[in-house]
Amino acid sequence: MRRLKTAVGLALTAVMLFPVYWMVNVSFTRDQDMRKSPPYWFPVHGTLEGYRAVLERQLPYLGVSLVVGLGTVALTLLIAAPAAYSLAKLRPRGGGVLSFVLLIAQMIPGIIMAMGFYAIFLTTGVLNTVPGLIVADSTLAVPFAVLILTAFMSGIPEELLQAARVDGAGVMRTFVSIVLPVSRNSIITVSLFAFLWAWSDFVFASTLDQGGAHQPITLGIYHYIGNNNQEWNAIMATAVVASIPATVLLIVAQRYVAAGVTAGAVKD
Amino acid sequence: MSMSRVTRTPVRTARAPVPAQGRERRAARTRSGQWAAWAFLAPVVVYLLIFYAYPLYRNVELSLRNYTVRSFVQGDAPFAGFANYAKVFADATFAPALWHTIVFTVVSLAFQFTIGLALAVFFSRNFRLSATLRALFLVPWLLPLIVSASTWSWMLNSDSGVVNAALSWAGAGPVNWLTSPDWSLWSVIIANIWIGIPFNLVVLYSGLQAIPSAVYEAAALDGAGAWQRFWRVTFPLLRPVSAITVLLGLVYTLKVFDIIWIMTKGGPSGSSSTFATWSYRLGFGNLVPSFGPGAAVGNLLILMALAFGLVYIRVQRRQAAA
Amino acid sequence: MRPGSSGRRAAGMGAAVLAAAAGLAACSSPSDGTGAPSAGASQAAAGGGTYTIWDPYPQYDKSSDWVKLLESCGTQAGVKVERTGYDTSDLTNKALLAAQQGNSPDVLIVDNPVVSTLAEAGVLTTTEENKLDVTSIAPNLLAAGQLGGKTYGVPIGANTLALYYNKGVLKKAGVDAAAVKDWASLTAALEKVKAAGKKGITFSAIGTEEGSFQFLPWFWGSGANLTKLDSPEGVSAVALWADWLKKGYAPNSVINNTQTTSWQEFATGDFAFAENGTWQLANAKKTGFDYGIIPIPAKDGGTAPAPTGGEFVSIPVQSDTARYATSQKLVSCLTSTENSLATTTTLSYIAPTEAVQAKQVEQNAELEVWVAAVKAAKGRTSDNLGTKYPKISEPMWGAVQAALSGSTAPQEAMAAAQSAAASATQ
Repeated sequence: MRRLKTAVGLALTAVMLFPVYWMVNVSFTRDQDMRKSPPYWFPVHGTLEGYRAVLERQLPYLGVSLVVGLGTVALTLLIAAPAAYSLAKLRPRGGGVLSFVLLIAQMIPGIIMAMGFYAIFLTTGVLNTVPGLIVADSTLAVPFAVLILTAFMSGIPEELLQAARVDGAGVMRTFVSIVLPVSRNSIITVSLFAFLWAWSDFVFASTLDQGGAHQPITLGIYHYIGNNNQEWNAIMATAVVASIPATVLLIVAQRYVAAGVTAGAVKD
Repeated sequence: MSMSRVTRTPVRTARAPVPAQGRERRAARTRSGQWAAWAFLAPVVVYLLIFYAYPLYRNVELSLRNYTVRSFVQGDAPFAGFANYAKVFADATFAPALWHTIVFTVVSLAFQFTIGLALAVFFSRNFRLSATLRALFLVPWLLPLIVSASTWSWMLNSDSGVVNAALSWAGAGPVNWLTSPDWSLWSVIIANIWIGIPFNLVVLYSGLQAIPSAVYEAAALDGAGAWQRFWRVTFPLLRPVSAITVLLGLVYTLKVFDIIWIMTKGGPSGSSSTFATWSYRLGFGNLVPSFGPGAAVGNLLILMALAFGLVYIRVQRRQAAA
Repeated sequence: MRPGSSGRRAAGMGAAVLAAAAGLAACSSPSDGTGAPSAGASQAAAGGGTYTIWDPYPQYDKSSDWVKLLESCGTQAGVKVERTGYDTSDLTNKALLAAQQGNSPDVLIVDNPVVSTLAEAGVLTTTEENKLDVTSIAPNLLAAGQLGGKTYGVPIGANTLALYYNKGVLKKAGVDAAAVKDWASLTAALEKVKAAGKKGITFSAIGTEEGSFQFLPWFWGSGANLTKLDSPEGVSAVALWADWLKKGYAPNSVINNTQTTSWQEFATGDFAFAENGTWQLANAKKTGFDYGIIPIPAKDGGTAPAPTGGEFVSIPVQSDTARYATSQKLVSCLTSTENSLATTTTLSYIAPTEAVQAKQVEQNAELEVWVAAVKAAKGRTSDNLGTKYPKISEPMWGAVQAALSGSTAPQEAMAAAQSAAASATQ
């Protein structure tokens, strides 16, 4: 039964990741085979040209993306976790309105946000800097993080918080030593998304960091987008190279979620 | 220890619902409690005001003035009231774009959520490799949209696409996925569902993890089958998380423009253009941008999200009262 | 969310807004002080010898010949050059946004149909203000940068469209490329190619400016004029393309093809013809098959005017007008005869001056056909269309898409486009 599940799981993952495979396939394809009809299912006359182009130029960008991603996670949690705790458990007047505003805030088109930030960043001097990009990317994640964390933190039983209060813990202590540890899984979920959004962001990076000394990997793709021509094998190769370290990070993080849950279940 | 206590309680709240808690809630609204509550909210409020208020103000302002490229740069556009909105409503693109927006959103959401939930339930039983496979499902999110959307348009190409190659291998004729007005909307919906599945899977999976296995065991003892267990136990307990997932999914789907833009540019002849792509085309997709009408369409989208948000709050309140 | 509590809730919100405003002030005051030095090159430029250049060639990085040329021009002018490459479709908005915020670059290189838009926006200086010399530039190329009798920049180079053909495929089909003189002979050739089991022609009819760019040689070649899209000539051009698709001479994918995608199709070696630009010359050598180039035929014979592509170097308006002198030196350096040769070779363009064109042909005889094509080419914004062009172009590519996808007949599609264009340009 378990083995069957693994088999089904593998099959589903294969279907889901087929487009990713196709991207890998294209990344190895020679220019003259790109639009071959019917296409090669495997890189028959594979070329490493795309990867050569990428490895020569793209590695520094990966480091910047990593910093931006982690910075975004940190900033997002710093702002969202206390807010979610308050909305879920402290019942502020106007909390409903605020949640609603958070929801609507996400509807502002990214490019309009980027144009607004351009003006703000220019006057505050963070245009073309990594901290500026982190702040901009965090706007993708903060409303989401507050809403999701609120949904999960509402599930924390009152008794647990009351017990803490009886023990003499203040609001802050309760938050730090009870709410945060108990919410570990949802915090990891939120962190994952914050990281992913920052990692794959293109609009903010291209508006706010195009002239920067440190640019994320998504802008590295521009090396292969000319004004009349795009080098697709190199673009795809960049995406492949960019997704490897992040995938490893994801797998590790997901194991951590699973571990947390099983640990709880075992003790139960 | 604390874990097990957490996980056990949702059941209790679900079985013996709220009136008692409601009173408790009101009692907690003391003055010092409010101070603490808002102290915790202060960062996010400041953040919202700095980073969202200005762009939103700007979008509204753009839509109410008659902007040309010149007045955009010089900043002296005359106030135009709702002229941009009138123009947008009168545009021949309006009705089809509205319809495409609705179809795109509803179909995408339905499939993303159903598939995401099914996968979440599937992955919630631990089996070999389950954690790794679950992580791999997130890989599509790591790719910049320009790459994933381009890959889809690559695969769906009428002549050299792998999908048509597979179809002909199976004996079916080729489909002009991206270039036929009858298919283009469905093609972008398929790609969008694919992109949305990881989000639903991960959030719903985390939601499932919050339901303790003891509940299932109890239900199993009561003689409930797997299907009954899902509908009677899992689904109700997952409702708060489901609701927010759907609502967020709705907001994100309404907003989607890059996938469509990269795959079809909203075409051919508008057959896959939604409000989001239309807004982008007006504001940024042409040599001469029409900022005013573009912003007006964008604001209509915000109003749509607002309407759905109100519905959500209403439903939520009714549930809380029930 | 009970109705009774709304008043108090509002009060709560008010307090929060106050708190937030305080936060805002706290946030913005220190940054005002530190803003100037950290705002990067563009700001620092005002004080020292740093000049910013924006171009639409993000594919060239610091080690490329192009950027080295920019830097050496900076050295000659005695300043440091800070260059940023933007995606070309992004650059118009970036330039408008930067101008709005008073952060324009000192030198801006943009796609030629955008020049009149930026000029109308008041972003660019005229040659009277910036003292650029444009006397040696070919008039048909310069026209794209002119609006209301004033010139707003210098073309850095030009490109245009022609038909690449695959010699092997034509030979197999028994077609002589030299015999393709008008639309009828081209269509006949395509028919033979298809009968021989190969594919006819590929082009790009995507729903963006790229689609219009590729359609214009046929549109102009029919004798039609952009001021009347639904003339019988204009309709015949759309009908030609639609007919090719219907008969299978051109693949259905053209509706969604960019020029790159279209080129990739040609590079498979299956296609007889491809409409593509000067810039593909380097790639053509990499395909591994024999190719040739012929001009795009007009309807009744002769060469159809193709649109000019390529970028203009311009000098955006600055609050400090003293900067123009140095910017002018930079631009003159970039467009000087010797550098123009290097630049146009790097970009795979044809030079805008006859002197340099002659040198290019001397170096590479293959370019002769392109030099001729560029001479016959026509600016999209010329014919006094200026900023009206984009408003005509959009309905035009829409009509092409509608006709090719089969949703509307060519006649109706162009009639609808004409009424849309007329109401947009009035």
